[in-house]
Amino acid sequence: MKYILLMSGTRAGVEGYRSRPEQNIEAHMAVLHRINQDLTESGEFVATQGLAGPREAKIVRGEKNGAPVTDGIFPESKEFLLGYWIVDVPNAERAYAIAGRISAASSDMPIEVRQFATYETKSR
Amino acid sequence: MKYILMMNTMRAGHGVPEWPQKDLRAHIAFMMGLNKELRESGELVSAEGLAFPEQAKLVRAGKNGAPITDGVFPESKEFLAGYWIVDVDSPERAYAIAAKASAAPGPGGAPLNMPIEVRPIMSGPPPEML
Repeated sequence: MKYILLMSGTRAGVEGYRSRPEQNIEAHMAVLHRINQDLTESGEFVATQGLAGPREAKIVRGEKNGAPVTDGIFPESKEFLLGYWIVDVPNAERAYAIAGRISAASSDMPIEVRQFATYETKSR
Repeated sequence: MKYILMMNTMRAGHGVPEWPQKDLRAHIAFMMGLNKELRESGELVSAEGLAFPEQAKLVRAGKNGAPITDGVFPESKEFLAGYWIVDVDSPERAYAIAAKASAAPGPGGAPLNMPIEVRPIMSGPPPEML
């Protein structure tokens, strides 16, 4: 069963993180790297990505003629996705355990755990 | 350049399962057609739909590292319904693909024009952090 583990945060949270001592950030990266290694070794790793900050984000809608309408305004207060992990695990509890480990490594940030929709997997 | 195109929606009004079967089929056919096009152009990295928030949990680590799961997912919160990761030559191309996905047909075949969030993916953490 595939799950996506979503880490979201606010702009204030990210600025606080960036102002931490470099050593502190390096230690955090090292733990996340270790988790990725462990998941690779257990065969549960599918993918992980960090996303660029919201300054580079756009909200897009299609116009009548299909041309994109881009909106650069990304509300200050909005939570945004910082990054994610995709894991392939035997059960939900294992996905929660991995999310718990990531949360513990990351100042107890809540991690949203979502299962992939089955109709999409069936169509492949 | 890699981009993630995120389709966010609210629980109230997503109502997709209540659409007439014909409209739902047209919507899924459109999405599958879009994925096929992106696969053929070599731009598709991955695309997934997510299960509804009834099955979602928020997880935090407890003191001893055990996961604490919270099933309560606020009614009003926007949630991720699905996403595409594309590898394209320019941000404009990512916006054009997002606009196409935005115009997917909804009830009665009318374009949904839903907002799609387009975000660049970082190529990786700075090498000195690894």
